Amino acid sequence: MSSQSKKTPPDSITGSEALVRALEDLGVEVIFGYPGGANLPIYDKLRKSKIRHIMARHEQGAAHMADGYARVAKKPGVCLATSGPGATNLVTGLANALLDSTPLVAITGQISRQLIGTDAFQEVDCINITMPVTKHNELIRYEKDLIPAIESAFYIANSGRKGPVLIDLPVDVLNASYPHEFQHKINLPGYKPTLKGNIGQIKRALKALKNAEKPLILFGGGVVLSDSVSELLHFIRATQIPVIRTLMGTGVIPHNDPLFVGMIGTHGSSRANKILAKEADVVLMMGTRLGDRSFVKKKPEFAENAKIIHLDIDPAEIGKNIKVDIPIVGDIKEVLSDMNERISKKPFSKEKPWVTVKKKKTKLSTRDDAEILEDIFISLSGFDMKLNVSTDVGRHQMWANHFCTNPLHLPLLTSGGLGTMGFGLPAAIGAWFAEPETPVVNISGDGSFMMNMQEFAIAVEHQIPLTVIIANDSRLSMIRELQHSNYKDRYTVHELGRSVSFKKIAEAMGGDGLEITHNNQITSAIQQALSSGKPTIIDFNLENISKSSHLTWDTKAS
Amino acid sequence: MEKTDKEKRHIIAIEVEDIPGVLSRISTLFSRRGYNIDSLTVGRTHKPGISRFTIVVRGDDTVLEQIRKQTQKLIHILTTEYLEKDNAVMREFAIIKLVYDKDSSTEINELVDLYGARMLNSLNEILIVEFSGTEEKIDLVFEDLKSFVVLESIRTGKIGMRTGR
Repeated sequence: MSSQSKKTPPDSITGSEALVRALEDLGVEVIFGYPGGANLPIYDKLRKSKIRHIMARHEQGAAHMADGYARVAKKPGVCLATSGPGATNLVTGLANALLDSTPLVAITGQISRQLIGTDAFQEVDCINITMPVTKHNELIRYEKDLIPAIESAFYIANSGRKGPVLIDLPVDVLNASYPHEFQHKINLPGYKPTLKGNIGQIKRALKALKNAEKPLILFGGGVVLSDSVSELLHFIRATQIPVIRTLMGTGVIPHNDPLFVGMIGTHGSSRANKILAKEADVVLMMGTRLGDRSFVKKKPEFAENAKIIHLDIDPAEIGKNIKVDIPIVGDIKEVLSDMNERISKKPFSKEKPWVTVKKKKTKLSTRDDAEILEDIFISLSGFDMKLNVSTDVGRHQMWANHFCTNPLHLPLLTSGGLGTMGFGLPAAIGAWFAEPETPVVNISGDGSFMMNMQEFAIAVEHQIPLTVIIANDSRLSMIRELQHSNYKDRYTVHELGRSVSFKKIAEAMGGDGLEITHNNQITSAIQQALSSGKPTIIDFNLENISKSSHLTWDTKAS
Repeated sequence: MEKTDKEKRHIIAIEVEDIPGVLSRISTLFSRRGYNIDSLTVGRTHKPGISRFTIVVRGDDTVLEQIRKQTQKLIHILTTEYLEKDNAVMREFAIIKLVYDKDSSTEINELVDLYGARMLNSLNEILIVEFSGTEEKIDLVFEDLKSFVVLESIRTGKIGMRTGR
């Protein structure tokens, strides 16, 4: 034991008690976690804390719950795991939060300091494993560093470009004495996010937009993360510049807004893709890195000689994927406020937008059962009540992105960057703990749901008003689509079969289950699930619904 | 961004908080993003708690700027800057062990004088000699040593700093 603990006064508290107090002081209300030998001292102190602990059934679930929580609560989500497998099970959740820039603080127990490096029971090198999937991480080697590290973790996670931070706490640090007087000192000389945009660059950007014939705004999840929706809408209305978005930019601008053209990318609308690739002469992009899936082809496409303005809080994103003419590093909220102030003094606006938006029915696939997906999501969008809606990953995710248009249900909580199947259920549960007055919906597929379905037990345990919509086509349909388009219909490994009854799974876990086989049951099933206020799984059997609505089911599919 | 420009070698000087694991963070970042390190040196500076890396990497100018920005994002990194021939001095250091007997000693002595090297140890006709200078000079040393029996050698890789304030 270090000299620190010998010097502390007899009435000192333990590291774990100091930790719990610090978390309380930081405003933490909920922790999602799973116990183990190395983090039990924390649980021992959480017993008497006002912080609510939600026990997941798998650490990955805990991390995604914290992610869903953070997106709705708009503050860092907290998850807690033990050493070894507890820590490795967090990895997917951390990577998901990193790629979608969700503020997350993960706390892991670690084995005692004197055992580190000996391959002790449940020892893994947590710091090196999680280094590339976190914004930052720290192993606490000295008791005195514990509280400053925790306070720094929350600050780092929730500032600049947000992201996950992991703190690894050896069990003997948790059990050692910690001085009553906390050191409240965040000392991060190398970390200073730029918030204010450079005024010269802002002026240049506005001038370019003003002189443009076909200006266009392209935004991503950064607008949601920086809470800049009203600033962006104000800017769009004032300038009458048309807008397109990426997958992560749901819920920012109403679907039927005359200036909103659509989503870009491999699963986007062709009109949105086309005006970006062929027409716009000045593009103001913000809060998006424009990853590879934002383009139909392999490389970024802009109209020839188009001038690109890129606004992002992360300087490393500027020039990474896209060549930029006018970079602006800063917080979107700050920069748009500056821009709005300038255009209120010197307004510019087209008499009418250069793009007329015709909202055509989006065609995404030729498969008939896909139209059932559309029916389900349009039906869901008809429920005029506030809902927090998560998706999983796959075909249903893309369709939900197009057809879940009710602003009361947006933004969708979706795994955009990592594409994590199994994200949706725990994310919906996390979202409910952030906003318990709002029911939650998880839109999932039969593949994704089975990746983390153990977490449904938590929804039952806490009687969460959760509706799980399973678009069940007994296959991994996006895999099938890829094998159709890229592998000349050489279908393999996409069949999941019909042996699993999701209705029975729901019932076995203590929830309600519905199995829908007819087109005319869709709305009533959703109605029943939402009004019951109970955790309910609705298994939409797409094949049977498709038959019931006299559509042809492609029996030659496999 | 397409990597079309010709790959060049670049030198980045990085000041960091001297905290355990900083080397690991930098090397993890470089390998994860596919930046190839030619050489890496690290050591303490006159400022307490602050260490300094000099890293030589290959890539075009766009890659270099990404490397610098991604490195700068690491929490314990204080400053990053480019070192170039016309704005910085750079040195490399090598020690070499070679056979130093009747047949070779005269020529080796001449070489040591020519390069301003220092003999560090001589034992049973085995000599350890130290060279320092620009990378090009050390390259020449290794070229000239080909006519002798070299037993072991080590080069440090570049260290450097910008000229002026």
